[in-house]
Amino acid sequence: MSSPQFRRGQSVVASILLLILLGGCSNNPYPPGQTAKSVIYRTLPEAPRDLDPTKSYSEIEAYIIDNIYADYFKYDFLKRNPYRLDLNLGAEEPVVAPYPYTVRERGRIVNKVGQSWTFRIKHGLRFQDDPCFPGGKGREITAADFLYSFRRMANPDAAIACPIVNFVSDKILGYADYMQYCADRFSRKLPMDYACPVEGLQLDPKDPYTFRILLNQPYPQLRFLMAMHFTTPLAHEAIEKYGNLQTHPVGNSTYILASMEPHLRWVLKVNPNRPLEYYPTEGSPADIKAGLLQDAGKQLPLNNEIDIDCIRELVTDWNLFAQGYEDINSVTNTNFTTVATLQGTISPAMARKGMRLQKAYAADTRYFFFNMKDPVVGGYSPEKCKLRQAISCAMDSQGFIDLVNNGIGVRANYVVPPGIFGYDPSYQNPWAYNIPKAKKLLAEAGYPGGIDPKTGEQLTIYYDTGVFGASDRQIVEWTVKQFAAIGIKLVPRYWRDIVLQSKMDSGDYQFTWLGWIADYPDPENFMMLLYGPNLRPGPNYCGYENPEYDRLFERMRSLNDGPERLALIQQLRSIQEKDCPMVYVAHDVNLGLYQGWLHNTNPLPVEYDLAKYDRVDGPFRARMQAEWNRPNYWPILILVALIVLGSIPAARVVDSRKYRRIRRSQGSIH
Amino acid sequence: MLRYLVRRVLYAVPILIGVMLFTFFLFYMSATPAQMARRNISAKNPSHAQIERWITQHGYDKPLSKQFTIYISDLFRFRFGKSDTTNEDIVARLRSGLWPSTQLALLIFIGSLITDVFFAIYFAYYRGTYIDNWGRFVCVLMMSITYILYIIGGQYVFGKLLRLWPIAGYRWGAISWEFMLLPAVVGILSGYGGTVRLYRTFVLDEIGQDYVRTARAKGVSERSILFRHVLKNAAIPIITSVIYAIPFLITGNLLLESFFGIPGVGSVVFDAINSSDFATIRATTFMLTIVYILSAILTDCCYAWVDPRVRLE
Repeated sequence: MSSPQFRRGQSVVASILLLILLGGCSNNPYPPGQTAKSVIYRTLPEAPRDLDPTKSYSEIEAYIIDNIYADYFKYDFLKRNPYRLDLNLGAEEPVVAPYPYTVRERGRIVNKVGQSWTFRIKHGLRFQDDPCFPGGKGREITAADFLYSFRRMANPDAAIACPIVNFVSDKILGYADYMQYCADRFSRKLPMDYACPVEGLQLDPKDPYTFRILLNQPYPQLRFLMAMHFTTPLAHEAIEKYGNLQTHPVGNSTYILASMEPHLRWVLKVNPNRPLEYYPTEGSPADIKAGLLQDAGKQLPLNNEIDIDCIRELVTDWNLFAQGYEDINSVTNTNFTTVATLQGTISPAMARKGMRLQKAYAADTRYFFFNMKDPVVGGYSPEKCKLRQAISCAMDSQGFIDLVNNGIGVRANYVVPPGIFGYDPSYQNPWAYNIPKAKKLLAEAGYPGGIDPKTGEQLTIYYDTGVFGASDRQIVEWTVKQFAAIGIKLVPRYWRDIVLQSKMDSGDYQFTWLGWIADYPDPENFMMLLYGPNLRPGPNYCGYENPEYDRLFERMRSLNDGPERLALIQQLRSIQEKDCPMVYVAHDVNLGLYQGWLHNTNPLPVEYDLAKYDRVDGPFRARMQAEWNRPNYWPILILVALIVLGSIPAARVVDSRKYRRIRRSQGSIH
Repeated sequence: MLRYLVRRVLYAVPILIGVMLFTFFLFYMSATPAQMARRNISAKNPSHAQIERWITQHGYDKPLSKQFTIYISDLFRFRFGKSDTTNEDIVARLRSGLWPSTQLALLIFIGSLITDVFFAIYFAYYRGTYIDNWGRFVCVLMMSITYILYIIGGQYVFGKLLRLWPIAGYRWGAISWEFMLLPAVVGILSGYGGTVRLYRTFVLDEIGQDYVRTARAKGVSERSILFRHVLKNAAIPIITSVIYAIPFLITGNLLLESFFGIPGVGSVVFDAINSSDFATIRATTFMLTIVYILSAILTDCCYAWVDPRVRLE
């Protein structure tokens, strides 16, 4: 071998490799100059499955489609406790009036009183421009488009099955019959009949901007449904042209889906046909202090574009945010110690970078629950109730929050979470964490010291659970420890999520846990978890049946917020207090982390179209990104120098070995 | 050779049917159609009618024998149908992920081949010196590190510390290569330890052969010996192991694509597994089985091509 030649070859290869690898020399994932523009950058942990507003039900999808589809109502951006609905596409508050109707029951005609809701929408609202319309120009929205959405919810096709159709199918007059009619047509492979009259869905023949929904019972929650994307007005032209709206939304709100790279990126741009909207002008002193009223009265949106990327891994997502290439990030167990202190305030390192940490109630409740039909933990006898109360007293809610949520959260005393009417911060659950009380109740239940007198052995309860990650395992271990503290043996049984779900649906479990997130911020949406007719596979997984509870619940459900409703909520709370079918643990508090260049952030758990309020200082962002991400070549150069220098002695050893061999062979000849 | 190839392709058919039979029954063992429906319908508490309709529309209500016949005949015609979860056309979804996956696989394949062979020869050339000893030590060390650590470490070192390449993301067009550099480097480094040690052994085996001593005695330069004679002969086992590694390259990219936000075939499989999308899982299993079989046939062909002593009969 010619060593100098070989080494020269090595250096050429090394140089080429180095040039190729350093070629990019920037960790900026966006085209040059783009981040200086008025664009919001955020990520999603998984790709949305469906962008059809009739079908879509996940938070991930809502972050896209709620910016594209507007509803009759929207949630007030600043007013909370309780959350408040404002008119959006609606021109005026719906007029609610009693509606007498007749129904045939057991061959007799019976007179009943339901409710009539009259909605009037704004004039001049338009759909976004799209090729599905004549000339590609979005046409005006009328009341018929709202009712079209309601009819579409009855479509039996599983590909567009509406998740909330059960909320209205038993309440809108004639809707159940319409659903059956649609199902019959579907089984005969006939298309949907949107022209079929439905008694409860009526247009005003004199006013194309007015429609009425007729209900067979009072249903104040309809207001909340009118703020969900399922009830957004839909253009029949779009559905006729595209079949469904899964990948081709045709909306009416602030943004349009300008481009989409499935499973990778969604770019929303401002809709030229958007309804006029202004930044709110009223807020609390805390809002003023937080700078949330600096843009009061300005026309929305306060940015031009939203870029949403799918980043599946939390570590990657956090790294991108730390580099400044994301404007918003959530606080998880992956980054908690880096971004927050144990008190839930922002860490000094993040504060130095100008980042903000904001808290918001998640409008959810985490709870353990018993199978009320189970022979050991179920039943309504005083002993059985005491057993469940004892277990409730053994559960240290604060310990749960410390373990699972790094101490950030609200101890739950009842199923209704903060921010929702009926939540009472002064209420203390009598079965909150108290080990001596738990032991006393356990003894009264017939299990002194946790010993079952029939067998003489420790009482054993089975805990059916799914284990999806490290924190789930922590929860299992924590729960076992809580039971052990009062002498009960808790045996975990692990199931895959779909198997656990079917066990819960069929009541084949003893004790398990869930988190329930609000569909809409009304106590009915939480208290229905114990309503008898919602029995599993409905949301009443406990299998709780109490006619008194059901009667009071039905009354409470039909009332608007007020003293009477509050009194009923308290009565319902007392009933479940006695039977104790659930052990309430925590209400989550979400922590959001925001870059310093993003303004007007104010997370709201039930609303996902808040991007229009965000104002971004693009030039400042670009400057910070450049400052935080200057390429650092020195470590590479040092590494290369070390390899080259380190190779020289070895090369000499090999060379000298070769020459030694030659001399030796010469010597042997002579 | 042609007869051999035809025979191997025919052998592949029962293997494919066997794999599909196994996958089909595994699906029914792991979840009932009702459980699948429950998971894939977006409602929190779907009605019985909604579940029944989902099962009917996805064909899970037919007798098992009929389902299997339809399933096999569809797969062999590459009609994969629609995803259980997203209702997307599976073929279109796989096609959209093909180019990013190919880019990444190509970079890792070529990059690994060049650097692994280079370092194998390098260590063999300096055999017995501290370079060789330290090189082997580093190789063993790298073999002991888990794949995830390479990914997270790679993102930290190259993206956050050196700030050379984007940590994640993908853009179509020429710029896409920029997003591939970091995952490719991570992919190359993660396989480096084991492969370099293996190739070094192949090279050393050849260096000790009689023909090398004869070449040296004839005064052939060390470079010619290494690159013209030794490398050519060491290439036989190298090519065999490289081609056989192609399917592993695709499956290995599942994590890479997930962590680096690349919308490739790996991310299709990753999403399908995460969401229990059995229609997509079955389609990708079928495709991967074909790739495994093809790479095995290709390995045999290459073996015959590089080694004149081998004949395919």
